[in-house]
Amino acid sequence: MEEILKIEHLVKTFGSNEVLRDIDFTVSKGDVTSIIGASGSGKSTLLRCINMLEEATGGKILYHGKNILAGEVNEDQYRTKVGMVFQSFNLFSNYSVLDNCIIGQTHVLKRSREEAEKNAMEYLSKVGMAQYIKAKPRQLSGGQKQRVAIARALAMNPEVLLFDEPTSALDPEMVGEVLDVMKALAETGMTMLVVTHEMAFARDVSNRVIYMADGMIEEEGTPEKIFTSPDSPKTKDFLSRFSAKNV
Amino acid sequence: MTIAEMNFFQRMLYILERYGSSLAKGAATTMAIAIICTLLGCVIGFAVGLIQTTEPHKKDGIVKRGILRFVKVVLTAYVEVFRGTPMMLQAAFIYYGMSQLFNINLGMWSAAIIIVSINTGAYMAETVRGGILSVDPGQREGARAIGMSHFQTMLLVILPQALRNIMPQIGNNLIINIKDTCVLSIIGTVELFFTFRSISGALYTYFEAATVTMIIYFVLTFVCSRILRFVETKMDGPSNFDLATTDTLAFTSGLTRYDANKGGTF
Repeated sequence: MEEILKIEHLVKTFGSNEVLRDIDFTVSKGDVTSIIGASGSGKSTLLRCINMLEEATGGKILYHGKNILAGEVNEDQYRTKVGMVFQSFNLFSNYSVLDNCIIGQTHVLKRSREEAEKNAMEYLSKVGMAQYIKAKPRQLSGGQKQRVAIARALAMNPEVLLFDEPTSALDPEMVGEVLDVMKALAETGMTMLVVTHEMAFARDVSNRVIYMADGMIEEEGTPEKIFTSPDSPKTKDFLSRFSAKNV
Repeated sequence: MTIAEMNFFQRMLYILERYGSSLAKGAATTMAIAIICTLLGCVIGFAVGLIQTTEPHKKDGIVKRGILRFVKVVLTAYVEVFRGTPMMLQAAFIYYGMSQLFNINLGMWSAAIIIVSINTGAYMAETVRGGILSVDPGQREGARAIGMSHFQTMLLVILPQALRNIMPQIGNNLIINIKDTCVLSIIGTVELFFTFRSISGALYTYFEAATVTMIIYFVLTFVCSRILRFVETKMDGPSNFDLATTDTLAFTSGLTRYDANKGGTF
């Protein structure tokens, strides 16, 4: 499969604190990769480095072979291709649901308002939020906000979508509606990189699981491999803590 | 009946009758200066506040960083000096300084507008900086993540929200300006307070003239604060929203609707 992102020896330090050490992995077209691991293992930082919200300290992030860290790709254009869904939604509170999904298209991609609206409506329908186009973010529930945030990211027609713990800020009864949307999205062949604590999602939806510990990739493999017979004792130990939660 | 024979209310009526048009003119001047200067002050405040909250890009060269640093120092000095000295003295300093040092005679209007605007700008700069900092950092990240440039992020996402957050403070500034234009009487601007002094000087009716002028000031500020409150409510938009008709949307998008049981329908 065609490689979209290739991460080589990625390092990120905050002062003397090494958050990411020597991360290597590849994201190919159509991959649905789940990144799991304890809090503080560097999962979110990794995602934020890939989206350049954090500046990596060392290493390379190759996007179709071009190193984005060396400025070989325009940062803003790159971000339109690598979308991001945040734990805290980050919908623009000064715009309606529809405008949230349009503003990036019209101002960044320079699409016409008409075209942008059509595209936005398509994705808002897909996430089941088409009825709410006139609402402001503050009028929505957490699950609804996250579905709009997914539609906003998709409306830019990205190649890869990064999810940074998309269900962690949600009430338990809202987690399902967001995971359903993500599952449906995965089935369309969208390339996704998902940092998650939802083990059921990692096991059932993704085709690859990365387990991170202490800023490093401890183990990487198919969900079957990671969840049934992990090689590393650390992975085994981490997953055993979830067994009680009926994974 | 002479003024000496009148009672309090008759004197007030007499003042209104005889000097009504002067008071109206003074009030109009006061309002014009206050509104124009608050608006200009906002423009200055937004410009300064924006620069103050700009962080140098990591890839920027030493020259660019140096310029930004220098500009920030100059602007901080501007803010501190104009917040830290009385506007009455600033008025005298600028008005007489310009004529003595540069032989420039600022007219009454331009002097008034320059002084009040830059004074308001100094206060607004801090207000805007606070307004920008009060916007959730997630808003910036959300904007950057869909590829907006720093400029687009500020213009489309951060500043509109900052503006809404600082609306009460802008209203405050307008009301302060309506009252504080009275210090411009020191350079001879014929505004409401100047009119009060002329009337009381001519008739020796300080109490009545003061009462009339105070009432006018209060009406002006009260009306303004109500109007601004109304604008704030407008900016918030309706507290309810209508659900769009699903059928029409499904028709335009050519897609089926979300089924809560089945999840998304991609």
